[in-house]
Amino acid sequence: MYIILVYDVGEKRVGKMLKLCRRYLSWIQNSVLEGELTEVQLKQLKAEAKDIMHKGDSLIIFSSRNERWLEKEVIGEEKASTDQFL
Amino acid sequence: MKKTFYLFNPGRLSRKDNTLKFVPVDEKGKEGPARYLPVETVGQLFVFGSLDTNSALYNFLGKQQISVHFFDYYEHYTGSFYPKEYLQAGKMLVCQTLHYADPYKRQRIARKLVDGAAFNMLRNLKYYQSRGKALEQQIEGITLLQQSIPMTDDIPMLMGIEGNIRQIYYTAFDEILNDFSMGGRSRQPPKNEVNALISFGNMLCYTACLDQIYHTQLNPTISFLHEPGTRRFSLALDLAEIFKPLLVDRTIFKLLNKKVLQAKDFDDQLNRVILKEAGKKKLVEAWEERLKETIKHRALKKSVSYKHLIKLECHKVAKHVMDMQGYEPFKAWW
Repeated sequence: MYIILVYDVGEKRVGKMLKLCRRYLSWIQNSVLEGELTEVQLKQLKAEAKDIMHKGDSLIIFSSRNERWLEKEVIGEEKASTDQFL
Repeated sequence: MKKTFYLFNPGRLSRKDNTLKFVPVDEKGKEGPARYLPVETVGQLFVFGSLDTNSALYNFLGKQQISVHFFDYYEHYTGSFYPKEYLQAGKMLVCQTLHYADPYKRQRIARKLVDGAAFNMLRNLKYYQSRGKALEQQIEGITLLQQSIPMTDDIPMLMGIEGNIRQIYYTAFDEILNDFSMGGRSRQPPKNEVNALISFGNMLCYTACLDQIYHTQLNPTISFLHEPGTRRFSLALDLAEIFKPLLVDRTIFKLLNKKVLQAKDFDDQLNRVILKEAGKKKLVEAWEERLKETIKHRALKKSVSYKHLIKLECHKVAKHVMDMQGYEPFKAWW
């Protein structure tokens, strides 16, 4: 499953949320990450995220079956690439 | 499916916030922007550039069951960081060893491996024959040798036949490839472009097999066709035989004939040819795509990627040594 994750959490929890998400997904922009996950991995990520979140925080997950069904266009500077070559 | 990451740039890989952080370093020693690798989705790492790490990282990788494979400047495989086996099975080890120790049982598997490899090589040749290449001679030669496989009664003889098959097979390369010629196999060092590609591709195939073996209960050091212990993880060499024609050779034919790889992607040095950085990336990219490609599996009745096919092969060997189901090698049926 291909995931795009966007979070908006209180200032105190931003760092925590970023650290968590970076374990599962590739960072592409402030508060935005993307990557391929299995259903179980996504469940784990959600469960761990819920532990961090407080009232008023939000986390949005866009998912599609495959990266193929997703068109991505970057305008301006690409902050981080997600390929597997470093 | 977990991803493989290829580290071409030199840099420092470290554990940070319970995930992996890679900081590339350029020739002047200047650090670039850090990149975080999502540890939960990393399957293995291939290291081509020089990598700076510490033991804390390896402890972490070990815990996450991520193996690291190292290659030297000339693209030779130098070794792996192989995390502690997590699927321990004494019974499997005993069965595997018994199958190795009994000459009759060992040859049964070894013959099947050579047979599968020969079949898949023929598959390649027939494919290109149907596209108008003159390969009758090679096909005939290999078919003849393939028929003599059941008659062998020791491993060296079998290895001899396997060698002869490969020799004939490689003569077909000159016919299949449009702009490049191979002129026989040369290794250590590879003497021309095609040989350089084969060496590099075989290495990728070997590590892919090793990685799949890691995720089964088989022991990678006890092999059947190759002599165990003499070289590297020899069970991976055994399995790679079957998949090399399908995965490596076909990828090479495609890249060269479609002119994705060209003469400028190679570095012509004294007495040896190696791939340049850009060339390596192109090959690895095509390789990754090939592993992800799926086929409709007849017995399982579902789509299976080539990568998973290697794992299924491991399971078949495992079932064979446990005396659950006789081993039949994977033969490309399309």
